[in-house]
Amino acid sequence: MDHPTSTFDLLTRFQNGERSAFSLLFHKYQRRLAVLIYYKMSADLRGHVEVDDILQEVFFAASGSLKGFTYHSPGSLMAWLSRIADNAIIDAARHQNREKRNPEELLPFRSESNPHGAEPVDLDTPSRIFARQENVVMLLRKLDALPDDYRKVILLAKFEGLSTSEIAERIGKSREGAALLLHRALKRIRELEQAEEAK
Amino acid sequence: MIGRKPHPNDEDGVPEGARSPERERAIAMALAEYIDRSSREEFLNIESFSKEYPAIKDDLLPLLQSLNAMDETFHDECRPGSNGQEPLPQSLSSHRILGEIGAGGMGRVFLAQDEGLNRKIAIKVLNERFSKEAAVRSRFMEEARALAQISHPNIVAIHSLGTSEETPHFVMEYVEGTDLFRATRALTIGQRAELMQKIVLAVQVLHQHQILHRDLKPANILVRADLEPKLLDFGLARRTDSDLRLTIFGEIVGTPNYLSPEQTTPERNLDARSDIFSLGTILYEMLTGELPFSARSLAQQLESIRKDDPTLPRRLNPDIPGDLQDICLKALEKKPENRYRSAQEMADDLERFLAGEKVHASPTTYANLVSGKIAQHLREIEGWRRDEVLSDGEYEGFRKQYGRLVEREDAWILQARRLTFPQVSLYLGAWILIAGAALLFLFHFVSLSGTPRVAVALCVTTLTGWQGLSLWKKGLLRNGIAHLLALCLLIPVSLLVAMGEYHIREIVAANPDWELLHNVSQKFKEITNVQIWWAIALAMPCYVWLRAYTRSSVFSLVSSIMGATLCMVTLARMGLVDWLNNDHGKFYLSLLPIAALFLACGFILESLKLSNDSRYFYPFAVSLAFVALSGLAYDYTRLQKSLNDLLPWTRGSVEYLFIANAGIYFVLQTVLGRSTLPQLQLVAKAFRFVIPGHVLTSLLSLGHDSIALWNASQGNIALKREARTFEILLPIVAWFFIYASIPKQMKNYFVTGSLFLMIGIVRLQQDIFQDRVRWSVVLMILGLLLMFSATRYSSIKMSVSRLFRRPS
Repeated sequence: MDHPTSTFDLLTRFQNGERSAFSLLFHKYQRRLAVLIYYKMSADLRGHVEVDDILQEVFFAASGSLKGFTYHSPGSLMAWLSRIADNAIIDAARHQNREKRNPEELLPFRSESNPHGAEPVDLDTPSRIFARQENVVMLLRKLDALPDDYRKVILLAKFEGLSTSEIAERIGKSREGAALLLHRALKRIRELEQAEEAK
Repeated sequence: MIGRKPHPNDEDGVPEGARSPERERAIAMALAEYIDRSSREEFLNIESFSKEYPAIKDDLLPLLQSLNAMDETFHDECRPGSNGQEPLPQSLSSHRILGEIGAGGMGRVFLAQDEGLNRKIAIKVLNERFSKEAAVRSRFMEEARALAQISHPNIVAIHSLGTSEETPHFVMEYVEGTDLFRATRALTIGQRAELMQKIVLAVQVLHQHQILHRDLKPANILVRADLEPKLLDFGLARRTDSDLRLTIFGEIVGTPNYLSPEQTTPERNLDARSDIFSLGTILYEMLTGELPFSARSLAQQLESIRKDDPTLPRRLNPDIPGDLQDICLKALEKKPENRYRSAQEMADDLERFLAGEKVHASPTTYANLVSGKIAQHLREIEGWRRDEVLSDGEYEGFRKQYGRLVEREDAWILQARRLTFPQVSLYLGAWILIAGAALLFLFHFVSLSGTPRVAVALCVTTLTGWQGLSLWKKGLLRNGIAHLLALCLLIPVSLLVAMGEYHIREIVAANPDWELLHNVSQKFKEITNVQIWWAIALAMPCYVWLRAYTRSSVFSLVSSIMGATLCMVTLARMGLVDWLNNDHGKFYLSLLPIAALFLACGFILESLKLSNDSRYFYPFAVSLAFVALSGLAYDYTRLQKSLNDLLPWTRGSVEYLFIANAGIYFVLQTVLGRSTLPQLQLVAKAFRFVIPGHVLTSLLSLGHDSIALWNASQGNIALKREARTFEILLPIVAWFFIYASIPKQMKNYFVTGSLFLMIGIVRLQQDIFQDRVRWSVVLMILGLLLMFSATRYSSIKMSVSRLFRRPS
């Protein structure tokens, strides 16, 4: 339901030196990206690092290099952020492994896994980003209930904002196969919603 | 899981026809079309989209609804960025809303028209997400109320508060301008400094109202066309006296660049100096166009703020004046106590800079920079020495040179090294001050005597001390030290004035001639040795205290000099003047315990790892020892007499005593050289250094004397033998010293030895081998042989060792 040019507008404003545009971009994408990050993280890493920390890292990295980002197509910013998120998660996992060896080396922000870290900016731990967001939690519950391949196709379509041919490429199917998978995934979501309403 | 059979219940609830694979395929392709179009951020109405597929509309629409429900999950917040999602309110506080001009973590800012006054205003509205939370809401209003207390041209003005019925908001002045970073680009360095000064003063006003900004950054500072800056957005501002803390997730993202080191660590109480750091970062960016701390990840960024020294601004832009760089680095000190204590101090320094005066800032960065790099280089050099790339001598040379730069604790030395106009004036002033004070105790002044004179002296002393300590505490180290050094001399001087005026401990020595001052000039007041002794003795604890307080070893220098003076005065009380007139030997003898005392002091201090202090005591020990031993040998007739009595063949010659001294030095260097303390080893080296000079000069002189005696005695065989012995002994001993240079790398052994070897050879030529060309030929062959053996050293050594090993 985005305004067709809003991302492009904000990007242009930021690249012209209007720094507050970044904050707007951040708010526009933060939740969607948070859900993506949540599912990109391994269960082990999720137990140690918070989605919020990764999200902060992603936006920090983005703020540094967004000046040089070229807007190719509407979905390209999200795809770009998603790639940064992949790197941030790899870094966090590496850091996590190192931390297991040197427990004195700490993550930047305070969290359950890191009680002596710097104080986070908001205090609703855990997963501050999802806190106060009943419907986000419900969405996560639905996504959690999906089989892996269903969830993957929904994340690619809805959260990374990819086109069907891009999705097909990612999951190694034909465009039609991807479309069918998405169809089934959505039907399952629909059922879950109906079950929820019935309750 | 991919390619798995559909779940058996997948088809449940779907009309009969939907089960056909064709229908499923059709729905899937319609979905694909929808996904593709919305991935191009095309706005699609799902109702009308489904109408395009009438056959499958009933199946398609619910699926699209589910899909869109996810979108709503992300838009529920109605972020301003999701343009148009949240409608602009028609009016707030009965002002017509014209549009949105900004948004942050906490809320949005609208542009509105104040119809009554016909002007544009800005309205800051708390985000709906928070407006229901009482703590956030009251915090938001508190911020507005606190700001409303302040009326300052460079701080955004608050006009009114919203009523409790409406969304929480407040009305403030609308500032037309561009953000600081963009405004700065076209300005000269001077204009930037001027702009910065206004900002710093505005922050000072906030601090005076107990408000910490905590989020100072160029985006929060607008600059109007007339170059007047305005501080905005106090989203993170909090009153210093309350512990309410409110920060919103997201606020930090993208802008941790301006945080202070203490903001990056938890549970640190922030104060005004945290804002000073942010101001330093802003100034740095304004001057260089770059951030002082930047890294690729957030964690590294925070680490960099905590640990890294920024690149010197002048490295990035050589046009930046050194003084402005000093101000910037002073604000960017890692430890809050090293920064400006208040924004006012920083503004004052900027004022000084703008007025072309010397600024007060003296950042520790330079010292850290120098010592950090040097410590690193020293470690490298140490490694080179271990790997025998460098000789010990070269290593020592580097270490000594660098050592002077590395003295970290004496940061003021770095500042004081350059002779500038204020620097020279400072020292000259101190010197004149002391001279003036000294006149007070040295001379009679009719118009100023008794208590007034004491009061004047005490006043000057107290003032100097107070000024010195407060300058030191302010971090003006160089000026502080100069005052405190003056104080060191003023304390005994004012004590002397007081003792003179009140006749305290006015005990005249048994012999009035022994009085030191009286000996120097008859015109001086009658200050007794006892008084001088007490004045210095009472001042000594002050020096020790100053050393402990300032951690500056220069006060150890003062202690050692005054200590030496005290020892001299002690000797004076024991009859020094008398000895100097009648019995020199006794004077030299009395120097020995003083030398030992200083050696012990140096040793104790160095053992306590106070090597910066001990180095001021050893030179006294060494030079007193030399003076005492040489004086005893040369001037103590009783010693010469007893030598003559004991060993008549020496004829009591001074030279034998000097050779004995060389023996003492040898013992001393052997004993002290065993220590691991580096400075004590230097002392040992000093003693070792003089040995060849003593021995060879004495031998030469003894040879001279015996030849003269032999010539005078007209053929005394014993004297002839003695003269010949010395003549041969001299080159042999010189030869010995030349090779003795090897173990301890004593180059002076080699040089002195070579010199005296040459003298010995020439004397042999003159006396024994006169007109014998064979002597010179033998010398040449010997020289060639030595040079040849040197080139074949290892093979000769091997064959010699084989020669000796074979029989065993």
